[in-house]
Amino acid sequence: MICWMFPGQPVAFADTPVNDPEFQKIALLCQETTGFNPLESCTSASDLSQSVRLQLFGVCVSLYRAKVLARQGSVPDVIAEHSMGIYASLAASGATDDVTAIELAWRIGVCMARMGMQREYALGCIIGLTRVPLEAIVANNGIYIANYNTSRHFLLAGERENVAAALAEATASGAFSASVFPCDAPLHTPRIEEIAGELRRIVADYRFYEPRIPLVEHITQTTLTAAAIPRFMVEELSRPVYWETTYRALRSRKVTHFQEVGIGSALSKFNRWIDSES
Amino acid sequence: MIEELIPKVKQMIIDSLRIDGMSPDEIETDAPLFGEGLGLDSIDALQLVVAMEKEFGVVVPDAATGSTVFASVRSMAGYIAEHRK
Repeated sequence: MICWMFPGQPVAFADTPVNDPEFQKIALLCQETTGFNPLESCTSASDLSQSVRLQLFGVCVSLYRAKVLARQGSVPDVIAEHSMGIYASLAASGATDDVTAIELAWRIGVCMARMGMQREYALGCIIGLTRVPLEAIVANNGIYIANYNTSRHFLLAGERENVAAALAEATASGAFSASVFPCDAPLHTPRIEEIAGELRRIVADYRFYEPRIPLVEHITQTTLTAAAIPRFMVEELSRPVYWETTYRALRSRKVTHFQEVGIGSALSKFNRWIDSES
Repeated sequence: MIEELIPKVKQMIIDSLRIDGMSPDEIETDAPLFGEGLGLDSIDALQLVVAMEKEFGVVVPDAATGSTVFASVRSMAGYIAEHRK
């Protein structure tokens, strides 16, 4: 049983398949829809924030990789998504088309970017600490755990200076590594509820179809229906990603092969870690 | 001692990182493991930390130490030789 896993936002513009006509087609679609061309990622659409451009870049590469896999004859029995991987996963499942996936990523990204004009936010990547001490650290610093990726891989989100303080505390508490990334908004935290009304209005502009391939979401590991998609798309931005639970749920559904459909191999590495503890 | 450890370290890397289709001989002893070379990242680093502790009883306490230890297979073997109980 095969699962295609769609990863979240990349941290850099990397591995661009510049010479493949299939990617060029998706890049053009993105440019026509949003003004951003992933083939000119560093210079294109400078009015968009770096986070929005990275999100669009990630969506385009995932859409492209899904097409390449399909061309190679890979057919998923189930689809899973992590964070911003939701957009391309919706298209791959048949719940929407490529243009809608790109447009949703763009409009939601721009909406979240407005939060970043009021305050400076960041994401913090913590490797090595376990959940309990980390939960105490985030509480001390008024921030949140945004991704529960494995027993020892977490992503924090909140205001930049608080994230920096939490990373210092985590390092002093024995974290193996701690790194910070700028972002527009406190992703996957309750703070996103400040813009939930606007997000709901964006999502309400689109029609979603029943996924042809079961799409498992990362909060409660249920299979999304067309009716549940709009609510999930807003809710997922204000709640954490539970990747370890999602992976274990997929395993219990008898998935034997996992194919990462996007940039890098972070999800495959998280899976490897989870397997090593099983 | 270090030379004896090198093939074992290579096998540990392959096993712990589940690098399919690669033999120990294909890993260069002195090539960088991170960024270029095998292209490992911080997720891989923690996996190697756990594997080193399990297989050789050697602890890499933090990423700063790790950046020196995981510079190459030879540096890993050197660290193990020095810290093995």
